[in-house]
Amino acid sequence: MSASILIAQNLSKVVPSTEGELTILHDLDFELAQGDSLAIVGSSGSGKSTLLGLLAGLDQPSGGDVVLAGHALSGLNEDARARVRAEHVGFVFQSFQLLDSLTAMENVMLPMELEGHRDARMRAETLLTRVNLGHRLTHYPRQLSGGEQQRVAIARAFAADPKILFADEPTGNLDTTTGARISDLLFDLNREHGTTLVLVTHDERLAHRCNRLIRLESGRLITPEA
Amino acid sequence: MTRLPLTRLVKLASRQLRRELRAGELRVLFFALLIAVASSCAIGYFTARLNEAMTVRATEFLGGDLALRGTSPAHQTQIDTGLAIGLKHARTIEFSSVIAGEQAIQLSSIKAVDGAYPLRGQLKSATEPQGIETVGGLPAPGEAWVEARLLPALDLKVGDRIEVGRKTLQITRILTYEPDRAGDFYSLTPRILMNLTDLAATDVIQPGSRVRYRDLWSGEPESIARYRTRLLSTLDPSQRIEDAHSGNRQLGSALDRARRYLGLASLAAVLLAGVAVAMSANRFAVRRFDASALLRCLGLSRREALLLYTMQLAMLGLAASLLGAFLGWLAQFLLFYLMADLLPAVLPSGGIFPALAGMGTGLIALAGFALPPLAALGRVPPLRVLRSDLLPVPPRSWIVYGMALLALGLIMWRLSLDLKLTLALLGGGLVATLLLGTLLLLGLNGLRRLLASAPLAWRLGLGQLLRHPLAAAGQALAFGLILFAMALIVLLRSELLDRWQDQLPPDSPNYFALNILPAERDTFTARVAALSPNAKPLYPIVQGRLVTINGEPARDVVERESRGDRATRRDLSLTWTDTLPTGNVITAGTWWSTKTPDDLPGVSVEAQLAESLKVGVGDHLSFNIAGRILETRVTSLRTVDWNTFQPNFFMIFEPGSFTHVPVTYLTSFYIPPGNDRAMVALARSFPATTLLPIDSILGQLRSILDQVTIAVEFVLLFVLAAGLTVLFAGLQSTLDERVRQGALLRALGSERLLLIRTRRVEFALLGATSGVLAALGCELVTALLYRLVFDLSWQPHLGLLVLPLAGALLVTGAGLLGTRRALTVSPLRILREG
Repeated sequence: MSASILIAQNLSKVVPSTEGELTILHDLDFELAQGDSLAIVGSSGSGKSTLLGLLAGLDQPSGGDVVLAGHALSGLNEDARARVRAEHVGFVFQSFQLLDSLTAMENVMLPMELEGHRDARMRAETLLTRVNLGHRLTHYPRQLSGGEQQRVAIARAFAADPKILFADEPTGNLDTTTGARISDLLFDLNREHGTTLVLVTHDERLAHRCNRLIRLESGRLITPEA
Repeated sequence: MTRLPLTRLVKLASRQLRRELRAGELRVLFFALLIAVASSCAIGYFTARLNEAMTVRATEFLGGDLALRGTSPAHQTQIDTGLAIGLKHARTIEFSSVIAGEQAIQLSSIKAVDGAYPLRGQLKSATEPQGIETVGGLPAPGEAWVEARLLPALDLKVGDRIEVGRKTLQITRILTYEPDRAGDFYSLTPRILMNLTDLAATDVIQPGSRVRYRDLWSGEPESIARYRTRLLSTLDPSQRIEDAHSGNRQLGSALDRARRYLGLASLAAVLLAGVAVAMSANRFAVRRFDASALLRCLGLSRREALLLYTMQLAMLGLAASLLGAFLGWLAQFLLFYLMADLLPAVLPSGGIFPALAGMGTGLIALAGFALPPLAALGRVPPLRVLRSDLLPVPPRSWIVYGMALLALGLIMWRLSLDLKLTLALLGGGLVATLLLGTLLLLGLNGLRRLLASAPLAWRLGLGQLLRHPLAAAGQALAFGLILFAMALIVLLRSELLDRWQDQLPPDSPNYFALNILPAERDTFTARVAALSPNAKPLYPIVQGRLVTINGEPARDVVERESRGDRATRRDLSLTWTDTLPTGNVITAGTWWSTKTPDDLPGVSVEAQLAESLKVGVGDHLSFNIAGRILETRVTSLRTVDWNTFQPNFFMIFEPGSFTHVPVTYLTSFYIPPGNDRAMVALARSFPATTLLPIDSILGQLRSILDQVTIAVEFVLLFVLAAGLTVLFAGLQSTLDERVRQGALLRALGSERLLLIRTRRVEFALLGATSGVLAALGCELVTALLYRLVFDLSWQPHLGLLVLPLAGALLVTGAGLLGTRRALTVSPLRILREG
């Protein structure tokens, strides 16, 4: 097995609620090697998105730890985790999360501009052309369809050459045909860039395109890793 | 330490700013700031330039920026100091002398002036009485310019000769206006103006002659101030410094009020802009929650995200400030252009300070009102990208309000409202806001109970407000503040204009009559009554000097150069009356109701003079009247309205205090135009009486008040326009959610009419509530302002009842206009856009 890019160790999340403490995730353990793809599936409220947030360092676990690209996240404060994200992580969201005030091109340029890339514009154009949006460079998100917006988001996710890509229901807001095209694109790019992919989905077909799958129910792993 | 180099962050911030500006995202905030800076700058420039123009006009009353007055010539060192500082100098010498015509003689007030006189303002003269006035010029050596009233007295005409002492002068023109006569309108005798080079030849000034020397100075305000300071240490007891403020009481108080009004109007403009900036900055922050979460996701640290937005805001602030300052400068330019006929042709430029101050005001408002909501952006949890319900922890409210209050305080201090007033306004405003805000929240909660049985439009409209009572209360307070600022400026404007109108009603006395002999008193009164619709009572006058205060020599008690000091160095005009003159108010003691315990005659002293003399009710004063000492006891103190053109007195005695002293009478009255012949006849019938016309002074005062009035009106219009713009901009910033809800309702099948009704109910209620808050706030603040700043009496303003209606109409109009998109654009499109 190649070196692990992502390790979850006894990962748990407890939140306060009106009826006392609520455990959302119970002692999860798994590892993911560089270049793997992992699908996290489960019904609504099973803890999928919470797990994604913890794995990507967007939130802190109540117990256990996440090791992302060699960094143990629980020992890091939010700003240090941000640095890890900037260096290693890309995101694709269900609701696209494009900035309304930026054009498609500028949205893709953003992560590269944060890194100070000089060729951000050229590279953004290449990526957008790769996702078949070469003719929509100067369009604002509100002028694009859902599928197009998600393609911009995918282009942005790959812009900073992340080691690992987290995708939260990437096809959740799209119709079946568009969803299928988007998932094709996602897997193609993943392969081209050699990126590790972690995706949360309801879509069993999408999930089964990943080479590994974990199923959550009430915050517990119920399917041993395939 | 930040991970991103600062230069990259700056680049990123400017790039993002350009993109967001292009996308129209920052329009509201940009325009709010633009209005803030432009209005503050325009009013700043307008006030500064007008202030300087008014001061220049006011200095005409002196004939210069500063006058050194004395009974002996100024010392050469005093003159040299002024010249060394680079000031311009002119000298006038005044004295009384009997003038011999060919047929008669007349005691006249002669003024010899040098070639530089006057330094401010100009003489006006005509070739014959009632002739056409020309401006400028001076009597050449050998010439005399005389007041028209001298001619009938001596039976002379222009071209005749008069003798002043040993020198014969030819009357070449009729003197119609002397700029520096205004400060001295109690002058008794007709004026003759002559050239200073002729003075020596007259041989009338001898040691012991009563002569008044005035050395006039003009120059840059800083130089004048410097000279003034230097002069103070070199003054003789007989010398006195006069400037634009000390020269004329009537004008001084009018100008002071106008200045304070303009200052307050600037504050209102800033308040308006502050509200706009606060509302739009809040919108700026809320709309960037997602973007901020995303940037954090992409690896920006909390500090970097915060820095990025702060830099964006600072760049935006700077750009808007620069443009705003330029627009403000243009706007005041336009104002002055419109007012060109009413103002002096050459106005002072105003300098760069108003522009800098305006920009500073905008940036302080931005920092105070925008940084707190902006700080929230740094705290947006990155997890928000997955869970959009996650909101940043709001900043502590004391920080938010503290920042805003600090910003307002700084701006008020910048507008030179004094500390007491600043604290009173801030404190009063805070208490009023807390009180009204609490009432509002309680009211909204009360409304919730009534809502269940209301029609659908009401439930939907009010539901919108009730769902977020804090936000609704915030909006009502913000709109309330806007209406409040506008209403306050309208109210003060009417009060000031009324006050000035009262000060100078059309029938203000335009003649003073002095030296009316007791034997002629009744006939004189009857003759004046026939001519004048407004004649003041006749007051007996006795000249007397204050010699002791509680047994101590008066001059030992008072401080040097104080008002009291001056009052002890000259004869005072003393009078007695059994009725308190109009415009006088007793502030301590009583008006002749009780006998003093030691049976001394009572005296009522003008309150400010009493303070300077350090006397109170019960103190002993003794006066030297025609060589006899009169012991008196102070029985009351009075304030005097010096703004009225009627005889006013520092000392009024109990009737019967004086016996066996020579008395003359003094009065003032209004003579309508066209009675010149009757006045000549009156003067001839009472040769001992001096009739002193003060039309030119009234005219000068009126023209300045007219100028100030126009300024006040323009500033009012400016504040109202800014208020309306801000109201609309502010409302705009709250409309996103309303437009979305409207679209949702339409998607659910609601008719447009229901939507319109819903909006009407919501906006009308919001506007009316704001109106009520504004009216209450206005009453609270005016009660403070009238007392502390404007010295006006306060009474409830029923007119403010119109504010709830005005608020409802304005907010509804602006709101419907702003949300029309929810009615006209496809609901699907709006909902898709989120």
